[in-house]
Amino acid sequence: MDYNPREFPPFVKTWPQLYGVVLGALVVEIVLFYVLMRLFS
Amino acid sequence: MSGLDWGVLGLTLAIIILYGIYRSRGSRSMDDYLLAGNSLPWYHVCLSVMATQASAITFLSAPGQGFSDGMRFVQFYFGLPLAMVVLSITFVPIFHRLKVYTAYEYLEGRFDGRVRSFTAILFLISRGLSTGISIYAPAIILSTILGWNIYWTNLIMGGIVLVYTVSGGTRAISHTHLQQMLIVTGAMAVAGYMTVHLLPDGVGFGDALQVAGKAGRLNLLDFKFDPNSRYNIWSGLIGGFFLQLSYFGTDQSQVGRYLTGQSVGQSRLGLLMNGMLKVPMQFLIILVGVLVFVFYQFRESPVFFNTQETDKLKQSVYATDYNLLEIKHGLLTTERQKGVVNLQQALNSDNETEVEAARTQLQQADEAIKENRGAVVKLIQKNNPAADTNDTNYVFLRFVLDYLPHGLIGLLIAVIFSASMGSIAAAYNSLASTTIVDIYKRSFRPDASDGHYVAASRWATAGWGVFCIIVAQFANRMGNMIEAVNILGSLFYGVILGIFVVAFYFKTIGARATFFAALLAEALVILCWQLELTAFLWLNVIGCVLVVGLAWGIQQITVNSEQRTTNSE
Repeated sequence: MDYNPREFPPFVKTWPQLYGVVLGALVVEIVLFYVLMRLFS
Repeated sequence: MSGLDWGVLGLTLAIIILYGIYRSRGSRSMDDYLLAGNSLPWYHVCLSVMATQASAITFLSAPGQGFSDGMRFVQFYFGLPLAMVVLSITFVPIFHRLKVYTAYEYLEGRFDGRVRSFTAILFLISRGLSTGISIYAPAIILSTILGWNIYWTNLIMGGIVLVYTVSGGTRAISHTHLQQMLIVTGAMAVAGYMTVHLLPDGVGFGDALQVAGKAGRLNLLDFKFDPNSRYNIWSGLIGGFFLQLSYFGTDQSQVGRYLTGQSVGQSRLGLLMNGMLKVPMQFLIILVGVLVFVFYQFRESPVFFNTQETDKLKQSVYATDYNLLEIKHGLLTTERQKGVVNLQQALNSDNETEVEAARTQLQQADEAIKENRGAVVKLIQKNNPAADTNDTNYVFLRFVLDYLPHGLIGLLIAVIFSASMGSIAAAYNSLASTTIVDIYKRSFRPDASDGHYVAASRWATAGWGVFCIIVAQFANRMGNMIEAVNILGSLFYGVILGIFVVAFYFKTIGARATFFAALLAEALVILCWQLELTAFLWLNVIGCVLVVGLAWGIQQITVNSEQRTTNSE
């Protein structure tokens, strides 16, 4: 094992979950940008 | 700048330098000098990679881009979170397992010394030149606006970090990065707040966003696929992914930062947090520029933000022409102010017809101002053909000096210095480590003591510092400077990334095929750029794909011809 499970932030337990959080955050940001753009255009 | 500003600037820089020197103690082994003894936690790694990427031009150019071009520049960073995930899966565990000092060391084991040296040299050329630009870019803006001597500004900007970088190496750099990022983030937040605070009474943040949106500045996403468009979601996701993967995966100035992590997990966490924070951070920095744009809708803006050039015009034979254009600019901005007040009232009354009418009035005034400004630019060119006609980088600093209170001005100038120091220190350190580990130790002195290499690394850091300052002294017009650095990176990064992709994912391709493919691909990328065949972000994709494709092709040809030779024997 190349990592210590205690290194994870409280809301995730595995690396794939953390990768999902990072990519999910990007998707959320893009959606929010779209909403912001539509709302104020 | 007032005495208070000078005091704030001097105190901030002194704290950073003294802290850097304090942290320099005890760097006596190669591990400690180049990798901080692999001892740093994830938040150090995260802030260090962020401080390395966010140079001074980020804080000058990005708000300028927001002002002149709107929010679309943020799409450039969409590929970064994807790149952080790929790096965490592939690059980080390999580099940690092999206990390398530089990314290029890995290539010798996988291929041969020739590929390692070629890649290291490509890195040294691109990073050495772009660091020179990174010193010059903020120095020219500060010297122009504040009337400082450019040669001294370059010297201070590039030389000040040498104080702690030479003595303390990576450990001092990582600790000062943490401090620099705190200063930068705090000061930019205050600048954003002050911009909204300076808007006329009754105009709040929400109203500012309404005005920005109606003026086309909240153009956050462009879904149209156009290879020649610099910033759209596709160039950001695909081109940006390749650029960021190459930058973070193969540029020693970044690899050297996350190799300091105390474990694979800590390095990964640092990179992944960077992946989560970078897009919102860039969004906020560009938004400050958009807010400055809104601020100038209610006030008269300079006809050209690089006022040194317009001052020259006033002293020239074109003075009368310029004065007429300046008067016209004043009338047009009054017209624009009426337009924005009408828009504001229409938005408050929620009347769609009135909103559209006011928006049209505002856009027409904006077009007329642009046209008038174009005439001023032509005059500037006529008066001085060597003049820099792109004033994007001057917008934010001009606003800071003209409207923000004393003390905060000094702090924001300190932000420019801090950001500059952060990226330059990492660049010097990476140039030195690559020179010593991949060139000097490998080819000239393979069996010297650890102490000898630490001393050599210190000399190399100082030597590269001098080289980059010299490049800065000779740098001149490059248009938007954040783009100049990215274009220079794109010329080399794609090829370097291609070499690493072959190394990681195409185990059957050998050293000779990779080496010749990389040479050929580099020539073709430079040709594509010279012929302006595509927007620069795509050069990263082209370089990478060319190396992989050509290496695979050359490998097939070599294997087939070897088989034919064996069969005929």
